[in-house]
Amino acid sequence: MAVGIRVYSERVGDGGGEPVLDAENGEELMHVQPGVSIVLSNGPPESPGTLYISSKKVVWLSDVDREKGYAVDFLSLSLHAVSRDPEAYPSPCIYTQIETGDDENVDESEDSDSECNGTLDLSKITEMRLVPSDPSQLDHLFEIFCECAELNPELIEEEEEHNWISSVDQLREEGTEVEDPNWFMSENPTSTIGQSNGDHDLARTVLELQINDRRFEDADEMEHDVDSGHH
Amino acid sequence: MLFFSYFKELVGREVTVELKNDLAIRGTLHSVDQYLNIKLENTRVVDQDKYPHMLSVRNCFIRGSVVRYVQLPPEGVDVELLHDATRREARGG
Repeated sequence: MAVGIRVYSERVGDGGGEPVLDAENGEELMHVQPGVSIVLSNGPPESPGTLYISSKKVVWLSDVDREKGYAVDFLSLSLHAVSRDPEAYPSPCIYTQIETGDDENVDESEDSDSECNGTLDLSKITEMRLVPSDPSQLDHLFEIFCECAELNPELIEEEEEHNWISSVDQLREEGTEVEDPNWFMSENPTSTIGQSNGDHDLARTVLELQINDRRFEDADEMEHDVDSGHH
Repeated sequence: MLFFSYFKELVGREVTVELKNDLAIRGTLHSVDQYLNIKLENTRVVDQDKYPHMLSVRNCFIRGSVVRYVQLPPEGVDVELLHDATRREARGG
């Protein structure tokens, strides 16, 4: 599902330019915004870079360090907003929240942990700010983010259904898998004895039934005999 | 599609969108799409102490899949209309 932000440094050609996109699956480059610095969590702004917005993800690549870059899928972007209030952040920026998959623990631990360690654990990054050197581009960027987010509708309903069905199937399979060997295990050693026992029991019951039948007949005869004896 | 049609009627009104990460954002409903992605304007965060950085973003796009609740303005809830709409939806019409 949501994977959060990740390191991304695959560039087209000699590694100087655009990020490698998944063109085979229809990924298109929608917008390029030069002069953007990126801020992960509450960290410092990272070296100037270029923002590439594709139909599937947001990619930021450093202009200085060719090996440096990040990407986040639109499917992982919970919300995005234009932040202009200097109290919220000193520079006007696009503010985004990132879904990491384990939201419950992240909110409390992320800020303190990532700051204390000095290194950023990308899987715990829930906030990203993109600060363009030209703030007049913010509204335009916001609209592009909106358009691209709408291009990436959630597959959640289907996924949940599939997960649900598959998990039920798994439960059933696990259940039968667990039951089957037990069943065979207990059946195999006893089956030879059990079957012959069963046959004996059956034979006895049949015999007893026959005996009973005879007894009834005998009883009739006995009654008859007794009756006749009284006579 | 019931919710989509219904939320469209609420455009321009004040709503509070509560996200699955407990963030609650109040703002004017600007637009909603078929995936229930929500755009708010003039937003403010309800619990500002907990989310100071969200203090005052002016407009905000919220992914439909991360929305837990949308709190509606009481005057924006037409119970009769909703009754009819849900009945129609239940009939599969």
